[in-house]
Amino acid sequence: MDIPETSQHSDHGVAHPEPPHGRTFQVRIDEEQVLLHEQHPTGEDLLESVDKRPCAYALIQLLRHDEQRTIPPDDRVDLGAPGVDRFVTVHKEIVTITIDGDPYEIQSGNRTVAEILDKVGKTPDAYALLEEKDGPPLPLPSNQPVPIEGCEVFHTQVQSGGSS
Amino acid sequence: MDYPEPQVEELKRYCRKLGAVQEGGVTFYSLEGLCLPAGCDPPVCDALLCPTSRDQYPSRLFLSVKVKSPYDRNWNRENARIGEKNWFAFSWKVEGANLTLAQILTGHLLGFTKPK
Repeated sequence: MDIPETSQHSDHGVAHPEPPHGRTFQVRIDEEQVLLHEQHPTGEDLLESVDKRPCAYALIQLLRHDEQRTIPPDDRVDLGAPGVDRFVTVHKEIVTITIDGDPYEIQSGNRTVAEILDKVGKTPDAYALLEEKDGPPLPLPSNQPVPIEGCEVFHTQVQSGGSS
Repeated sequence: MDYPEPQVEELKRYCRKLGAVQEGGVTFYSLEGLCLPAGCDPPVCDALLCPTSRDQYPSRLFLSVKVKSPYDRNWNRENARIGEKNWFAFSWKVEGANLTLAQILTGHLLGFTKPK
């Protein structure tokens, strides 16, 4: 992996325990330059600054000497410390989805309705799987794969209907 | 039958415009631009939800077109004239106690997503 040279902050380059009023911190996340007002953002904050979420992406800090460090979503980084300004995001293999309001981990890629329902101990015979995607929760066809990229929101519903 | 306002409000999430049609003493919920499940053609159409017993079904969902879906359905009601429009419905029975309006609606939409 080609790791870009780590740069100092343009204004100081020295760690400060508390940022002076109005101080901003410039970091590079992937190819994007981002200005932050918080000296100690969480991994989740940094992902959000580039419109990504920890349910689908991991945040990795690029260090000197080709070293890397994964920043968990709840961990805070000190942007005032020297060399803390380069990050990359990686799409996770194991992502988090929400089913009936609770988070569950699942392998990304195409999954079956049965695999997703199994996460909550339910089966397609008794429950329908609905996905909330840019709109209301709608039932998913049981015979088609469900693409999982992370952060999908699902609901289950008792199978209440049948042909007559 | 009157439904609580939050239940009626919940239906708004599923369509572009929600209204009501009274005919023959029955209240139909008019769902203009109803979102249909993945794999349906068209993906959106107008619908009338009759949440009370009709045609020997506990409830019925009338659609403005015969929707193509991952599973073929028995369209046993064609050109039903309600509210001065023609509607289509497939044979699908949604059963369950104390279902909300949205649960009745999604119960009918499930008909497009399961074999029987």
